[in-house]
Amino acid sequence: MLARINSYALSGLNGYKVSVEVDIHAGLPGIEVVGLPDTAVKESRERMRSAIKNSGYDFTPHKITINLAPAHTKKEGSVFDLAIALGVLCATEQGVVDEHRNPLRALEDYIFLGELSLSGSVRKINGVMPILISARERGFKKVVIPKENANEAKYIRGVEVYAVGSLREAVALVNASDALPIETCDISPKSAARASEDLKYVKGQYSAKRALEIAAAGGHNMLMIGSPGGGKTMLAKCLPGILPDMTEDEILETTKIHSVAGILDPQAGIVTERPFRTPHHTSSKIALTGGGSTSHPGEISYAHNGVLFLDELPEYPRGVLEILRQPLEDGVITVSRAARSVEYPADFMLVASMNPCPCGYYGSAAHACSCTPSQIQKYMSRISGPLLDRIDLHIDVDEVRYDELTSDGLSESSATVKARVNAARAVQTARYAGTNVHSNANMSNAMIKKYCALDAAGERILSNAFDKLGFSARAYTRILKVARTIADLDGSENIQSKHIAEAVMYRSLDKAVK
Amino acid sequence: MLLSDLYLWLSFSRVRTRKLNKLLERYTPEQLWDSFDEEIKYNPDDKALSALKRTRSVDFIERTKQYLKLNNIEYVTRADPIFPVSLAQTEVDPPLVLYYKGNLDILREPCIAVVGTRRASQYGKYVTNKIVSELAQRFTIVSGLATGIDGYAHAAALDAGGNTAAVLGSGLFNVTPVSNVKLFDDICKRGTVVTEYTPDTHATEYTFPERNRIISGLCKGVLVVEASDGSGSLITANCALEQGRDVFAVPGDIDKIRSIGTNKLIKNGAVPVTSANDIFDYYDVPHAGRKQKSVELDFGQQKILDMLANGEASFDSLAERSGMSIAELNTSLSALVIYGLVHEVSKNVYGLS
Repeated sequence: MLARINSYALSGLNGYKVSVEVDIHAGLPGIEVVGLPDTAVKESRERMRSAIKNSGYDFTPHKITINLAPAHTKKEGSVFDLAIALGVLCATEQGVVDEHRNPLRALEDYIFLGELSLSGSVRKINGVMPILISARERGFKKVVIPKENANEAKYIRGVEVYAVGSLREAVALVNASDALPIETCDISPKSAARASEDLKYVKGQYSAKRALEIAAAGGHNMLMIGSPGGGKTMLAKCLPGILPDMTEDEILETTKIHSVAGILDPQAGIVTERPFRTPHHTSSKIALTGGGSTSHPGEISYAHNGVLFLDELPEYPRGVLEILRQPLEDGVITVSRAARSVEYPADFMLVASMNPCPCGYYGSAAHACSCTPSQIQKYMSRISGPLLDRIDLHIDVDEVRYDELTSDGLSESSATVKARVNAARAVQTARYAGTNVHSNANMSNAMIKKYCALDAAGERILSNAFDKLGFSARAYTRILKVARTIADLDGSENIQSKHIAEAVMYRSLDKAVK
Repeated sequence: MLLSDLYLWLSFSRVRTRKLNKLLERYTPEQLWDSFDEEIKYNPDDKALSALKRTRSVDFIERTKQYLKLNNIEYVTRADPIFPVSLAQTEVDPPLVLYYKGNLDILREPCIAVVGTRRASQYGKYVTNKIVSELAQRFTIVSGLATGIDGYAHAAALDAGGNTAAVLGSGLFNVTPVSNVKLFDDICKRGTVVTEYTPDTHATEYTFPERNRIISGLCKGVLVVEASDGSGSLITANCALEQGRDVFAVPGDIDKIRSIGTNKLIKNGAVPVTSANDIFDYYDVPHAGRKQKSVELDFGQQKILDMLANGEASFDSLAERSGMSIAELNTSLSALVIYGLVHEVSKNVYGLS
């Protein structure tokens, strides 16, 4: 007898239906899986056999052929286990046969996802969220998923999701006429500060803290330069606590990627906090961009709608840094391999830190630097101009002179700063409504012209600054974008000269040798 | 045979200037050219003479001239009237030929050399800027196009609209360091770059000390801004003393490595300099006016100026003491930096200009 069960596979973040066809026919006993299965899929016959047996069903040796259609795309992972097992049960006329209904018709409405354990229980799989969204788009109504993935699925409306814990439960589900799908609920962004560090514990560094606030408010990329012990890493760790709340779309997008990658917290089910990724500087290109034989997403996609923090920037191999350029510009990365080409969103905020020279003390007031000019130049040149071009804020973070600090009364908590950031983001959201730009950092040239017009006083101070500080031409649009964010934080509709004056302070690398 | 052609021949033989000068004490250039065979008989092993012999042909000289012309390199020999007079003294061990790009006339103006360490501090950078921007209004600023103080001196002179001359320790094709190539181009356009080395000569550890005598030789005096003990700038100062030039030095903290050299110079009799006026007074030259734009300061800016009047302060301490918001402080401070009233002494530390 022939059975056909629906399952679903992913290619990047988009999915397609996979029909699992099971046929039993005469021949020497054995199980054959066809349809370009990878090792994990091939091994599913062993899991399936034990699961069926240990669930109390009969597994008499037959000649079984299992086909995963469409047969020309490569099938990966253990997601088809449940469908294959049900197919076998169906083909051997066990369990899923209902006297009053045509079993095959009943099964046709469902999509089955899940990995089987030998005992017959259903285990968690990766990529449930993107599969559900894709299935909904394609008009599927009922999806059966592992119980452990239920948290992730409850936020998807418009499709009935059934969570099962074992093969037996799955069989019962199809036979029952009154099965209840899991309850859906609304997505609510968490607004409590959850960063490991709070700004109120950072002493001094007022300039850097202000820059952090501006970066968070406008989504600007930021580079912190300073001696060891200055607190660059600590400042960066404060960043998640002041980033604006995620919108519902952002939550879904980021969750999809984390779901595919299998890094989703099974308890939370969705990503409600902006991701803060800190890949080590030994990371490879593929680890950052994504790729490999399965074209999986990389760190920059994990950081989608969040922060990619690169500590000790010059320690990263040049090639690894250069690949960031295109995603920084476009917000997406296309991972092309011989087998397929997949697009992952990668709209992240780059925050980097570095020392000013190999020994770390160049320009420091407290220590003497022991590097030669050529060493310093070599060190700085590890960061290419085009990459620096995409970083709006550069700030100097030097050691705090504790003897000069008299009070800590000025230190604001992350929550206070976050409130201002949220307000500034709201202004931007309203301004860019209807475009695909979310923040000031992503403004196109036309938008800069439109929204960053300067009055005479502003023009004057900017040209003075260029004259006096010897800025390079590329600083121009960066300063305008940052000034726009400062104006938004200030609640000002137009950019005033004071906003320009402040923005000029955050271009420490652009100041020419003078 | 023109005398200048003979000098060009001698220079392109690539024999060291000191050796050539020794030969020229005994023979005139014409004698070297004419009676070459007899000379070589007496000194069969002398490498210098065999090098001279190899290049001794009219054809070689013509080709050399064409080569220089083709590459837009001008030259002036000791035989030419425009050869800088100050270099012609014997104490200088004068070069036979100077290859140059740009306008050589500026070397006829009174010149001051401004030199110092390649590893300059923010302070050294600031002092160089401050002094040179005034000095350049009365003097041609001569330096060595190195990184650090040399580069800052050239740039500050160009910025102030003054004249500046760079003396290279290599040929004009091999500008070192590469990071200063843009500065080199600017100086070629608006000042002059000179060297005694043939265009394709590479810089070596010998050529830099050698060219220092030309830096000091061209000038009335040498100002050393920052120098550690054993710095190349001290060689320039020594050359200056041997050549009878004046030595000026900017005093510095006694515990800073970069001040050891300059403080030592002052102990040994160099003139301490704390502003360009010290040098103007020394030479009895009228002071140069500082181009000061009058600016209207708002309350916050005035407050910061008052606080900085007691000495430099870090951003953090300004933030705490002023009671202004960080945005206000940033804005005011930025405006003051742009007006040139305040400068960044070291990272995040500000002081009055």
